Amino acid sequence: MTDVERLFRTYNAALVRYLTRRLGDRDWAEEVAQETFVRALRPTSIQNERAWLFAVATNLVRDEARKDMRRRKHLALLAEEERDAMVEPEETTLERAQEAAMARKAVDALAERDRLALLMREEGLDYNEIAEALELSPGSVGTTLSRARRRLVESYEALQKSQEEREKNAAS
Amino acid sequence: MQHLSEGTIHSWLDGALTADEAARVEAHVKECPECAAIVAEARGFIAGASRILTALDNAPRGVIPVVARKKRIDPMVWRVAATLVVIATGTLVVFRNDGRKTELATRVADSASEIRVTDSIRPIAPASPSIDQTMKAAGEAAPSVTNEQSFSVPAPVAMSTPRAGSTAKIAEKGITADAEVTAQRSAAPAAPTAQGSTEPAAAIAQRSIVTAAPAARTAYSGSALSAPLQANAQALDSKEPNKRSDVVAEEQLSLRVVGTPRTLGAKVTLYEVAPGDTVTLREESSTRLESVVTVTGAAAAPLGRQSVEKSAPPAQAQRAADTPVVGAADSQRSVGAAGALARTPSAPAPVTRVEFANGVTTIVWVDAASGNVMKLSGLIREARLQQIKARIEQERAATAAAAKKSP
Repeated sequence: MTDVERLFRTYNAALVRYLTRRLGDRDWAEEVAQETFVRALRPTSIQNERAWLFAVATNLVRDEARKDMRRRKHLALLAEEERDAMVEPEETTLERAQEAAMARKAVDALAERDRLALLMREEGLDYNEIAEALELSPGSVGTTLSRARRRLVESYEALQKSQEEREKNAAS
Repeated sequence: MQHLSEGTIHSWLDGALTADEAARVEAHVKECPECAAIVAEARGFIAGASRILTALDNAPRGVIPVVARKKRIDPMVWRVAATLVVIATGTLVVFRNDGRKTELATRVADSASEIRVTDSIRPIAPASPSIDQTMKAAGEAAPSVTNEQSFSVPAPVAMSTPRAGSTAKIAEKGITADAEVTAQRSAAPAAPTAQGSTEPAAAIAQRSIVTAAPAARTAYSGSALSAPLQANAQALDSKEPNKRSDVVAEEQLSLRVVGTPRTLGAKVTLYEVAPGDTVTLREESSTRLESVVTVTGAAAAPLGRQSVEKSAPPAQAQRAADTPVVGAADSQRSVGAAGALARTPSAPAPVTRVEFANGVTTIVWVDAASGNVMKLSGLIREARLQQIKARIEQERAATAAAAKKSP
């Protein structure tokens, strides 16, 4: 197994989930994740591979960099295997779709740095990794995360409330 | 020990603190109910945020279809395609407008030449205290006058004030964008016109063109000014009806016959009025007696009015505004027992019917000379058809006159 394959098998699931949450599109997320691993093929000195991968993925999303089709093909095959192993999301009901839409809205309302820090934390990155990926000081990660979580929950609840009111008005 | 910051609490709950720090926080939380409350709240936020983020995972695969994704077209292709569409649309608009602009330019030049005529009739224009003002105002009104031309029946008619009002409205809507260009363009055609006249006239003509630009840029002031102005123009019209109709006829784009498909019992002529724009003239041979034709012509006048009124959608204020004009023209012409036959060949025949179907406008009238029923149809506005009709009639009259001279 090459080094990139090992990286892929170790981090792909988390990276794809992180990117899916970030982008709202699983296919797009997979493409960006693959491109991230393609970048790992290039000779670079990587100290913390997880932080490095998340940082690259984040930058790729930001820059919307074009992909290297040829190299991606091999990784696409690996992704196919991975996908079979992944648990497919439950069937979408109206309620779930509404929840997802509100979650999306609430996440989008966050400041970019808060959002990324939170999503990285959810994928298990520790404070140092988050700090490295986002070029923050480790000391500020706690503050960033606490702010992100509070705002996310509060804006989600606000959305829920207005949704309920709308339904109540529609019913009456 | 002072209270813990929210960041520290989250760091502690996330296990990001060193053993020493964690022990200190833990000890403080045990003793401090306020910080304990914040810790409880933080736990809630951590769990809540996690749950909300999980909901994002339900974002289904194929928000963008998988097939389309895999064979995704290079964005460059889209960019090129979009550019082409924009250029094509733009070109179309420019070409379409171009005809109008040329028309406008001619009209502005005409208005400059008309100004020379004004000199002799000046006393009848009460709204113009000095010639200079009249000129200036005429310049400002030029775009709207032009617009009124393209909408109205080519017959020389004394127009009412409400009509002038509606013209002003149109000026607001339609001409704003064009007028500036018109003003620029008209500088060229207007110059030769002005040269022929006296020195001050040339200066005034130029000034009037200059004033046209700001008036057009601020549509409100332009249209407001054009309203009283219109009255001046009307006064001119009523004094010199023949000149007016000549101007109308001359400013038409040339009519080019592009085809004469064979049809039984009728003569069909295809005219190209603008690149890509054709109108069809169908001349149905009539074997009816002249007297019948006379009756038809007279009786058709009120009918024509009705049909125009009926078919005019209320939203199209301009067309509705045209209605009294058509009526007035018809009533003028219908006066006298001689009816249609007494008309001079060059006078436009009244339209007896206007039809709208699938975007095709058809106007129907009876040719005074031959008594044939004429149907002119095309994918254009009624007012434009009316202009084309006038032009066709003029050409026919010229042909007839030539035939008479050389039997």
